[in-house]
Amino acid sequence: MAPPTLRLMVLPLLALLVLALFALSLSVGPSAVSMRLAVGDWLAAGDSTAAVIFAEIRLPRALLGLMVGAVLGLSGAALQGLLRNPLAEPGLIGVSASASLGAVVAFYSGLVNTIPMALPAGGIAGALTAVALLYALAGRDASVLTLILAGTAIGSLAGALTSLALSLSPNPFALTEIVFWMLGSLADRSVEHVTLAAPFMAVGALLLLSTGRALDALSLGEDTARTLGFATGAVAFRIVVGTALAVGAAVAVTGAIGFVGLIVPHLLRPLAENRPSRLLPLSLLGGAALMLAADVAVRLGGPGPELKLGVVTALLGAPFFLALVLRTRRSVA
Amino acid sequence: MRRRRLHKVLQTLLGPALAFCALSAEAAPQRVVSLNLCTDQLAVLLLPPERIAALSFLARDPDLSYVAARARSLPVVQGSAEEILPLKPDLVLAGTYTTRATVALLKARGIPVLALDMPNDFDTIRAQLRQVAAALGEAARGEALIAEMDGRLAEAADAARGSARPTALTFAPGGFTAGGGTLSAAVMEAAGLSNYAAGKGLQGYGYLPVESVAEAPPDLLVADTDQEARPSLAGRLLSHPALDRAVPAGSRLKMEPGLVTCGGPFTAEAVTRLAEARARLLTRPQVAARGQDR
Repeated sequence: MAPPTLRLMVLPLLALLVLALFALSLSVGPSAVSMRLAVGDWLAAGDSTAAVIFAEIRLPRALLGLMVGAVLGLSGAALQGLLRNPLAEPGLIGVSASASLGAVVAFYSGLVNTIPMALPAGGIAGALTAVALLYALAGRDASVLTLILAGTAIGSLAGALTSLALSLSPNPFALTEIVFWMLGSLADRSVEHVTLAAPFMAVGALLLLSTGRALDALSLGEDTARTLGFATGAVAFRIVVGTALAVGAAVAVTGAIGFVGLIVPHLLRPLAENRPSRLLPLSLLGGAALMLAADVAVRLGGPGPELKLGVVTALLGAPFFLALVLRTRRSVA
Repeated sequence: MRRRRLHKVLQTLLGPALAFCALSAEAAPQRVVSLNLCTDQLAVLLLPPERIAALSFLARDPDLSYVAARARSLPVVQGSAEEILPLKPDLVLAGTYTTRATVALLKARGIPVLALDMPNDFDTIRAQLRQVAAALGEAARGEALIAEMDGRLAEAADAARGSARPTALTFAPGGFTAGGGTLSAAVMEAAGLSNYAAGKGLQGYGYLPVESVAEAPPDLLVADTDQEARPSLAGRLLSHPALDRAVPAGSRLKMEPGLVTCGGPFTAEAVTRLAEARARLLTRPQVAARGQDR
């Protein structure tokens, strides 16, 4: 158990880390633009090249990294609390893949050209279907195995349908973009993507954060939670809808980025005294930090098409996942 | 060094051509199958339709093929040996890098195959056109096409006089572009433009990040894909706000599709388009002044 001072300091420290990584993310890029000049010019409503690069390229990228990482970490922590299952994570249980499918259908059908809002709406619809289905199939106190099986089935079906939808697109470039939808990237996203997705991510995050106390009670068992006065059905509803809104909108603009929701809550759980109400805000910050760091890493790789974010998070996350499986092997078997 | 490389290219290209001359003297092929978008276009330009047994399916795509309209009435194949053997072709045209399994199988069955590389300049286009025309027994038609192309090039060279060399960048969906040593670079040079991507140090084909382009925009952006009708993420990149600001609509040229996808006599039309765009650019004082500095 961590010493008490560290436990008190962990939230502000994480917040500082996120701020530092956010600033670092703003200063990394292929062009040699002085960030101080660019920010000054941008604040003065200038129209210089540096200001444009800052405001139209670097800022949306850093903002999306911050927000998407935050909601992925948060929804991982909330799902783990709700399902009382250490392997619950939007990527692993097929929620991200289903959100991808929804966004792909909305985007490549051309619907997004006429109604821009269709992009996050498609992602949210896909995510909602997956979370609701999962909760119905492998809801409360289902074994780890049931959850992973149901999640794998939903995820692979969504992946196959995504590739089908892309194959049917008349654009010759579409099929190569499956890499984006399955592995995710923040490259060349614009302010438009931020404004499309941010409101949904914010509402989703608030819904998820509001369940902290109920999840604390739920960790003592469902009956105890009920006797403590928490309507467990309403908690589940808030988490399902919150995850769908946050993850659906995030995936719709950045593609599915895996493992963030798995790694972050597990690393931070000891610091949160195993209390979900403390873990939720910590995972929010931790997810943002991990995503910003990963996004800086992919940009340091030199010229050429950069690595997809999901590659980096999987390199970190897959060994972590295996270690977790080993640890929970008894309950899986 | 360049000259030596060119010589080597010509040698490898003309070797098989000479072998085919003997063949075509006996009988010109009557059932030609083409398996590659680029050879499709040469076949359609050189042959009457009744001598074409099949083209590749890409030949009908109006975004890729110069001869899409004419290819619509011709049979197409996906490129598997199973489709091609029943057509009993007496000559198969293929690309060096495409449908290789099919080509190996056809060769094993004794069907003559002519494999063509991607040309990177107008000399190679001429050599390749002569080679294919000879193999098809249409040498005169080939010479006529070359003469037509050279006429266009001479006109463009005339228009491209002057020392100003505005920069131009081809930007395909996804930020894919052509640097030095590519056909696009040769087309720009012939039109009196300098290749922006080559100036950034790119040799061959590759990607340029939007941020680099926004930092020091080219005088002319050449984009050839219509993205409204067939959305893709890559196509969306062309309307990225930062790119919109750096390269406004007046500095963009929408090239007819298919002119530089493959090298052929039609590539000269791309030179004409670019030379016209350059003339328009030079009427702007700041571009003209910048061009003189270089």
